[in-house]
Amino acid sequence: MTAMCDVAFLLLTFFILTTKFRPQEAVQIDIPASTAQIPIPDKDIMLFQIAPDGRLFFNLDDQPTRLALLDKLGTAYSIQFTAEQQNAFRTLENWGMDIRALPDFLSKDPNERAHIQQPGLTIDTTGGQHQVEDLILFSRQANNNLRIAIKGDKATEYRHFDKLIQALQNRKVNKFNLITSARAAKE
Amino acid sequence: MAEMNVSGGGGHKKGPKKVRGKKMSTRVDLTAMVDLGFLLITFFMLATTFNKPKTMEVNKPAKEDKKVEEPPIKMSKTASLMLGANDKLYAYVSPDEIDAETELEVDSIDYSPNGLRKFIQRRQQEVQEQWGDKEQLFIMIKPLPASTVKNIVDVLDEMTINDVKRYAILEPNDPIDSLIALKTGQKRK
Repeated sequence: MTAMCDVAFLLLTFFILTTKFRPQEAVQIDIPASTAQIPIPDKDIMLFQIAPDGRLFFNLDDQPTRLALLDKLGTAYSIQFTAEQQNAFRTLENWGMDIRALPDFLSKDPNERAHIQQPGLTIDTTGGQHQVEDLILFSRQANNNLRIAIKGDKATEYRHFDKLIQALQNRKVNKFNLITSARAAKE
Repeated sequence: MAEMNVSGGGGHKKGPKKVRGKKMSTRVDLTAMVDLGFLLITFFMLATTFNKPKTMEVNKPAKEDKKVEEPPIKMSKTASLMLGANDKLYAYVSPDEIDAETELEVDSIDYSPNGLRKFIQRRQQEVQEQWGDKEQLFIMIKPLPASTVKNIVDVLDEMTINDVKRYAILEPNDPIDSLIALKTGQKRK
């Protein structure tokens, strides 16, 4: 009994120490598999997620960087964010909506937020709204070491993917990472 | 079952009995603690992300404002892969010069080791024979809008597996590309 108890608590300690919690997903994404072996870095990551229907979501990994980004967004889009809204944005993972809709979304309580179907970032480059490009620019200004990762669903069509790459290249980002799951090269 | 016996040794010591005060029980019921322990283990196991995802690095050529004149690559060193809808893949090799006599062979292959990998390996061998170095092979990957992210990842993966050093993701702008797109009934843009 004592031994079992010891083992149980040893395991418990191990899991507590090694756990990184699953981030809350705004959308379910089924990633393709590849033989690539490079593990995804833990920090300094800017992540774009593309849902099968083409909706685009954004995530920055670090809370101070998020605040710096929000600050710049506020200035560029002349939006005043309240302290509560800033606080909500600090802990917000994976969001995707028009930037002008952000204050409204951030004012809602977290429970309600989790159940809202988010429309995806505005990536349409017509009409002078380069919102995704702004996000890329401001995030990189906030943290210069950011690496860019793209997590696309298996079934996402290339045209959605291409739009994002165009936006990245317009901001002089020519190097990015595709997130895949591991598999062995089959014969 | 769930008690801990702290009194050491067991067995009786010989010799004269020492005089002690009244013995306190040292048995503690551990059942509840162990239950809690296992509950927490279960929770952390379920909340943990195992199998950390891997990444695949993609480099796109920089968009140059000024056109740098580069000597064009001999088409006989190249192979083109067009990624279409419904997991279709069209592979062809452009001849060096196109004239009215030119006949072009377009293979419709799939992403399996038997399709794509065979094609790349055959092409590597041809380049090896013609140019003496299979690393001269340049593969042009041209995704059509209706292809999927999985298709791109599969093709890029095949590049790594077959050790193709030179490849690029390009737009399907060639006249041949538009012809194939037209023939297969797919949108090019």
